[in-house]
Amino acid sequence: MAMKTSNNRFHDRVTKELENQFMRGAVSSAQDRFQTRRLQQAQELGHWEEWRSHGEEIRKHVLENLDYYLYQLSENVAKRGGHVFFAQTAQEATAYIQGIAKKKNASKIVKSKSMVTEEISLNAALEELGCEVIETDLGEYILQVADHEPPSHIVAPALHKNKEQIRDVFKDKQGYTQTEKPEELALYVREKLRHEYLTADIGITGCNFAIAESGSITLVTNEGNADLVTALPKTQVTVMGMERIVPTFEEMEVLVSLLTRSAVGQKLTSYITSLTGIKDEGDTDGPEEFHLVIVDNGRSSILGGEFQPILQCIRCAACVNACPVYRHVGGHTYGSIYSGPVGVVLSPLLGGYDDFKELPYASTLCGACTDACPVKIPLHQLIHRHRQVIVEQEGQAPVSEKLLMKAFGLGASSPTLYKMATKMAAPAMSPFTKNHTISNGPGPLKAWTEARDFPAPNKNSFRDWMKNRTKGDEQT
Amino acid sequence: MTGTIQHRDTFLANIAQQLGRSPITDLPRPTWQYQPQNRVLKDATKDELLEVFIKQCANIHTNIVISDRTKLAHDLQSVVDHYGGQSVITWKDDRFQNYGLSELMTEKWPQANIQLYEWNTQQPEENIRQAEKANIGITISEMTLAESGTAVLFSSKNQGRSVSFLPEKSIILIPKSTIVPRMTQAARWIREKILNGENIPSCINFITGPSNSADIEMILIVGVHGPIQATYIVIEDC
Amino acid sequence: MKVTLFATCLVDMFQGDVGKAVVEVLERLGCEIDFPEQQICCGQPAYNSGYVKESKNAMKKMITAFEHAEYIVSPSGSCAYMFKEYPEVFKGDSLWEPKAIALAAKTYEFTEFIVNVLKIEDVGAQLEGKATYHTSCHMTRLLGVTEAPYKLLQNVKGLQYVDLPGKDRCCGFGGTFSVKMGNISGEMVNEKVHNVEDTGADILIGADAGCLINIGGRIHRQGKPIKVMHIAEVLNCQ
Repeated sequence: MAMKTSNNRFHDRVTKELENQFMRGAVSSAQDRFQTRRLQQAQELGHWEEWRSHGEEIRKHVLENLDYYLYQLSENVAKRGGHVFFAQTAQEATAYIQGIAKKKNASKIVKSKSMVTEEISLNAALEELGCEVIETDLGEYILQVADHEPPSHIVAPALHKNKEQIRDVFKDKQGYTQTEKPEELALYVREKLRHEYLTADIGITGCNFAIAESGSITLVTNEGNADLVTALPKTQVTVMGMERIVPTFEEMEVLVSLLTRSAVGQKLTSYITSLTGIKDEGDTDGPEEFHLVIVDNGRSSILGGEFQPILQCIRCAACVNACPVYRHVGGHTYGSIYSGPVGVVLSPLLGGYDDFKELPYASTLCGACTDACPVKIPLHQLIHRHRQVIVEQEGQAPVSEKLLMKAFGLGASSPTLYKMATKMAAPAMSPFTKNHTISNGPGPLKAWTEARDFPAPNKNSFRDWMKNRTKGDEQT
Repeated sequence: MTGTIQHRDTFLANIAQQLGRSPITDLPRPTWQYQPQNRVLKDATKDELLEVFIKQCANIHTNIVISDRTKLAHDLQSVVDHYGGQSVITWKDDRFQNYGLSELMTEKWPQANIQLYEWNTQQPEENIRQAEKANIGITISEMTLAESGTAVLFSSKNQGRSVSFLPEKSIILIPKSTIVPRMTQAARWIREKILNGENIPSCINFITGPSNSADIEMILIVGVHGPIQATYIVIEDC
Repeated sequence: MKVTLFATCLVDMFQGDVGKAVVEVLERLGCEIDFPEQQICCGQPAYNSGYVKESKNAMKKMITAFEHAEYIVSPSGSCAYMFKEYPEVFKGDSLWEPKAIALAAKTYEFTEFIVNVLKIEDVGAQLEGKATYHTSCHMTRLLGVTEAPYKLLQNVKGLQYVDLPGKDRCCGFGGTFSVKMGNISGEMVNEKVHNVEDTGADILIGADAGCLINIGGRIHRQGKPIKVMHIAEVLNCQ
């Protein structure tokens, strides 16, 4: 896939998605449910702020010392018979993995969920070789069968689809004949994928947390698909965003606790699996060959800069679930595999401002994301920082807006100009005013007045009242 | 056999450069300012932990049976019957005998037409074939987490990973002595092994109930790729 | 007690009644109000849109206008918070940073001032009606003022309070967001108004002009019989 998921214009995407009533209903219910559960779990656990602070200090420490921990990780993976490939770019990563597939003569590959593999377009690279790549996470599988539709949420990728649409996907593409009942759909997928796990040549996973001290990788799922992907095929490839690492098992369990509660409101998911190297001597399941591909793909350019905190992200999507904008526009609007607040911050950094310059403005800076983040990333501040970069460095702000802001800058620093403007405002607006209300505003006001009325500016401003009052007091 | 490492030097040098310093080769263990995990169920007794564990099972769609050495064979039989018998796969593990299950497994089951297969390090393909067609898989928890209702399973040549997730039904034996407050204790225990130079298992699985998904309209479906049903049998050994 | 009023440009231009209510309430509570005429705008519209350079002159104007003040009180949590951002904006500026720090330290949102500085929770207000309250994002999450409005409202005689579902969800104003992304903003305020309606309240109370102009604008368009009042206006009812 690659990070960018749409060639349509941002505003066209917004218009289209706002019309998708099912998606909006699904997203708001999901948000309400996730939020409630997250808050319940936080309360039950107690001292949630301390947990967040601990999560933050772990992630900050790791980023500050990332080279050290990656070194330690690679040494320990190699000690346990695994091969480590450091990939600066997406191309290097996919070329290396293509090499493995060729060497193994692989025809079938099973995958568990991994955002970084989508970022680097791994599936397409393997399909180029003629490999069949099968997503095993239920949501990802549904989207794959639906002609590689992009995910709309980091944790629940098929959130935008209802069960009837899912049934139709299987019916049209695979001849599914049963009903839209979720249990039947799931059982169908279970049986279909069972066969694939047992006959796959390579299993590919992402990595929730790599553990430097032991050379382990930790996978967090509810479905158990990652376990099947890693236990059955003879070759395992794990692709990891370079920042997804912790020093030891102790920090892993803290971050997992934050992740599962923040993402899905569970104390732990059904399967948390730590895999270390190739299978042990005498094991009869587990991989004979293991490759860990550590991917940079633009992450290092974020290090050392003011956006570094975004690399603290543990991909829980709590920010997505808290965002009032995402609530109405859904994931596809963002045009990136990363949606919601984390997507707004990360996409321009990894994908450039050209494709993602509208995203930082798709926010009211309400701060709900920052509040929700279990590792205390100051998301709304980073979103604001993008706006500053867009205006000052990227020169991507619209000319008309720049002029307006310049005028604002002048008017707001000169009481004389301001007074003039306010005196002119009421008469200037009078063609649009009726009953002290503007219902069909000119220029920028038009976007406001589509859904709302706007009050006409007061003929006499508050400050005039204050002035007269003071004068009046002085006189008496 | 040691694996290969490629392109590490330039990769890490780039990171160090971005961070405005030279690469670090040595780093003391950090002292964390916060350690909230130490508080959870801090002074709970084993009995209290068991209570928490039992309560949690209801939240994770897992049946729980409280048993002991004298009743274990009987209780296990009940669960196996409840799950429809047919075929069972287990690890090759002396603990089954220690728990008094030999007679049940080697005599009673064949009589009742319940096929038993024991994981066999000499038979790789047969192991998977048997695990795939078995109705029930039985494993044993190394350490059990009260707060989340989680069993910790270690893999080895006699303890196949597939036993706990290929069969439709999973039974995990939980010695009460293995119950600890939460994952914090398990993490520390595993770390001790690492620091002692032990080889930790290639697969350590923290399993909490059967598999599930809410990917279809956020409706919870229990039993997706892994087991559809799960039962914990607690053996009160303390 | 001498209080310097930071009225905000929105109040000055569109919601003069709110300004008047703030003055009358504070005077009744024993404060002497001073209104520096040099004040215009805290710079937030430009600043939040990323035009930091353009907003700096406006900010310097504000710093100078309020330099003499002992207590700065504003009927907007959002604008009060903007003052708290000034030290960061002028970081490294040896002349303006200390002034900004001084300004931020003496700035209060209206309800915060009454409850935390004047130490008053009952201002003697009286208003009959069923009311609900929308918590403004910047005031609660960024400025950290969460309790003061409730403490004041619960002492308003005759006021029946009902909680607003999704009360802390953004109303969709977000300054220039409401025009730049007018359609998304419209959907957000639409949901907010539905929630207000569902409470059965006849009065919607808020503490920020931006939010109230936004939500009020939608209510007015839909012709709903819900009165929109700033908390200052409520507290001014006798």
